Amino acid sequence: MECTDFKLIVVGGSAGSFSVVSHLLAGLRPDFKLPIVLSLHRLKHVRSGLVEGLSLKSKLRVIEPNDKEKLQQNTVYLAPANYHLFVELDGTVALSTEESHNHSRPSIDHTLGSAAYAYRDKLLGILLTGANRDGAAGMKEIADNKGFTIVQDPLSCDIDTMPKEALKLFRPDRLMNPEDILHFLNALPG
Amino acid sequence: MQNSEKDYNYKEYLLILKECSPYDFSEYSDNSIDRRIKKIMRDQGLNMEELVLKTRTEPDFVEQVVEAITVNTTELFRDPDVWNHILKKVLPALKHQKKINIWHAGCSTGQEVYSLLILLDHLQILDRAEIYATDISKKALEQAKKGQYFYNFNAEKYRENFKASFEGETVPDFDSYFSADADKDLLKIRTDFSEKVQFIKHDLVKGDLPFYNKFDLIFCRNVLIYFQGSLQSKIVERFHENLFPGGTMILGSHESLGGFFKTKFSKNGPVYHRTNSFHFKY
Repeated sequence: MECTDFKLIVVGGSAGSFSVVSHLLAGLRPDFKLPIVLSLHRLKHVRSGLVEGLSLKSKLRVIEPNDKEKLQQNTVYLAPANYHLFVELDGTVALSTEESHNHSRPSIDHTLGSAAYAYRDKLLGILLTGANRDGAAGMKEIADNKGFTIVQDPLSCDIDTMPKEALKLFRPDRLMNPEDILHFLNALPG
Repeated sequence: MQNSEKDYNYKEYLLILKECSPYDFSEYSDNSIDRRIKKIMRDQGLNMEELVLKTRTEPDFVEQVVEAITVNTTELFRDPDVWNHILKKVLPALKHQKKINIWHAGCSTGQEVYSLLILLDHLQILDRAEIYATDISKKALEQAKKGQYFYNFNAEKYRENFKASFEGETVPDFDSYFSADADKDLLKIRTDFSEKVQFIKHDLVKGDLPFYNKFDLIFCRNVLIYFQGSLQSKIVERFHENLFPGGTMILGSHESLGGFFKTKFSKNGPVYHRTNSFHFKY
């Protein structure tokens, strides 16, 4: 078994990922400790309501953090609409309205890349279904910084562009369907 | 190892910039300034050594650097809920004042300045407003003065935000405020509106304001996120001094005040009011 003493989980997803994330949050142990950061693309016309939607079934608290907020256990952090979310070295969140990246704000690459640099081998990165290449480079950065990487199996994806783009760049530690991702998370110590 | 070397270089670059220009970015938050400088180097095809040399020898280049460091994304009625609150709760309280002083600190290309003007006009108190808008970026200010934006890219979102900001009220006619030219791809604010505002170049890091400095409203939205905590505190402290008692400060939707300032401001929905706490020694 590889090293599993993670300090943070980051999840990227786009088209089709809402139901997967919602399923994961509903199925996690209620005492699941590790902070989870979600960087999800939103439909242009559905800016608000995502945090409420995810909270419906989640066992854990889901919030859109403020700038410079400290990441804490038992909490799920959703990148707010129209902001990039970066993870900083001191375990806080930094928000930014910098230009879109891959037509996206929040950009998954930005969240994943910054977390990779800050948490290195203590980071678990998960890339889900999506129709955009944003996220692929960020996942590679996690791998390059010795973090652990899980890519959703393209066969289980609504739209497999995002995971396939990631697989072009590097070889993840795991290729899993959502059910297996859930089991993996629930089996983590702590 | 590679990374700590990199950090050292960027910090050193900021010191050089400070030394040979009026700009001090040393208290900008590390990660964001780091990304902006990387972007400049990438866009201009420069390595650190070349960047330093150009900065030392070409004053025009320094201005380019400042433009590139500054983030200028903004939109008309960004976060409609906030504007709806300002329309219904904040502005009506100012209705009986002879004069309303307003400062937009870090106004960027001006969309939110005009958002407020539209609300003031809707409440028929625009003639009493004295409005200052400042930014560090000359380019952004020039665009703000023109009040001219791309039409095709923004029109739909702007109309949507506009409508949502007036929720619960009679929605005025968007086209009475803007002239739109889809062919030229232009959306332009009424000239009497753009002439109503005094746009002034000002660096928030610097203390003194180039105008009378007591305000009923201070807007500073999504600017503080680029600063380190120490600089954020300094600027919020100054806003506190620059507000009339009971005056209102409007920050970005995901910016919050640290512990100390929570006693100096009371939060009401998405906005902060200056409290009258005289027992505090600064």
